Amino acid sequence: MTLGTMVIKMGEGFGKTCAIFFLTLLFSLPLGMLVALLRMSKNRFLSAVTRGIISVLRGTPLMLQLLAVTYGPYYLFGISVSRNKLIPVVVAFAINYAAYFAEIYRGGIESMPVGQYEAAEVLGYTKAQTFLRIILPQVMKRIIPSVTNEVVTLVKDTSMAFTVSYQEMFTIGKQIANSQTSFVPFLVAGLFYYVFNLLVDFTMGSFEKRMGYYR
Amino acid sequence: MKKAMAWMLAAIMLLTCAAAAADTFIQGIDPEYPPFSYLGDNGEYTGFDVEIAKAACEVAGLEYDVFAVDWDNKLIQLDNHECDVIWSGMTILDSMKAAGYVISAPYYDNTQVLVVKKDSGITSSADLAGKVVAVQLGTSGEALLNGDLSALKDTFQELVTSQSFLMAFTELEGNAVDAVFVDLPVAAAYVADKDGLVILDEQLGAEQYGLAFRSGDEELCAKIENAVQTLVENGTYAEIAAKYPDIVNNLIFLNAK
Repeated sequence: MTLGTMVIKMGEGFGKTCAIFFLTLLFSLPLGMLVALLRMSKNRFLSAVTRGIISVLRGTPLMLQLLAVTYGPYYLFGISVSRNKLIPVVVAFAINYAAYFAEIYRGGIESMPVGQYEAAEVLGYTKAQTFLRIILPQVMKRIIPSVTNEVVTLVKDTSMAFTVSYQEMFTIGKQIANSQTSFVPFLVAGLFYYVFNLLVDFTMGSFEKRMGYYR
Repeated sequence: MKKAMAWMLAAIMLLTCAAAAADTFIQGIDPEYPPFSYLGDNGEYTGFDVEIAKAACEVAGLEYDVFAVDWDNKLIQLDNHECDVIWSGMTILDSMKAAGYVISAPYYDNTQVLVVKKDSGITSSADLAGKVVAVQLGTSGEALLNGDLSALKDTFQELVTSQSFLMAFTELEGNAVDAVFVDLPVAAAYVADKDGLVILDEQLGAEQYGLAFRSGDEELCAKIENAVQTLVENGTYAEIAAKYPDIVNNLIFLNAK
């Protein structure tokens, strides 16, 4: 197999890798905010439950969560395993990453000085207005480096979808490595991930620059 | 001074240990490949290949050890001296010989079969047109479907590669795939304790299992082959094989007799 064919083959799988990546971000970023707000809820019960869920999601391997989401429904309730593996894969990834994002959001929100809330109240802002117009924009700016960290990790974590037989790029790389008895596909895979992460880095970097308000 | 002496002693002891370790024969196995190699009920690796390797080491006077490889990367791990042989129901591929690995004489005739659900209505490989089929990554089944049997593969809607045969069977039972393409002994062992699954009476592909050594290890290969031959002659081989009825008919050394 020539290097060209190898890259094309793996490029096809890369589309599936991208699908996991973008769909996971699409769902986990907002879901994380919801989880963070529940976690900080004044309601003790809600807060404790959310805390427990986050603890489990962060304390168990993503690989196990993938297996649980994909095959759990079948073993527990006899529901057929999804033929389109993208669905369970994205569900598992989104839930897992939401837990991490939630804690990043919480850290950002709680780092805001109480004085700002008090000042906003004096100026007659409602609670929702205070959060959306004053707190959130500053939080966004503060948490970008941590979020970038997670996003970069996500790019590499996509290879774990192989656990549930989802044919993403790394899976195809392994197949080629096997049939060709060669190490080259792994180098190609590494290059794919690295270039993708360079793009992520660049995008997040320019995003951070554009957030250069309040300076 | 005393401290320095102690360090030197420790270093010497370490070196002697390392030297002793050189006589250890480390068998690289796929720990999820019954009945050839798997984790036994007592938590120790066992299986036909493991038992034979242990017995062969005794004959050859080698210290035995076992190492569970990542099957997709087995040859890389072999090259890195993480084990001295890949001996675990491994199909001999031409590409291995081309890459310089020392391959033993084959000991097992392997056939590939299809496992389907009883009520699926699939009775032969011809019925698989437009269906989804699962195969374990890195197995001979996968190699076959991408090689000699690629015409059959082209009739499938999709070929799904799974990390282990257990995943492949789970996909089948969970209705995510319509058939699993797998080695006969593995299929027989799995189907034996599952209702609702059936092995199609159609043997596809004929391949042979052998041992893979690093290039240049011809001597070690010959030593192990001789030891196994001794086991065949003194009956130990047949004794061990009798414990694995699913594979006994395809063992080359026993059928040659």
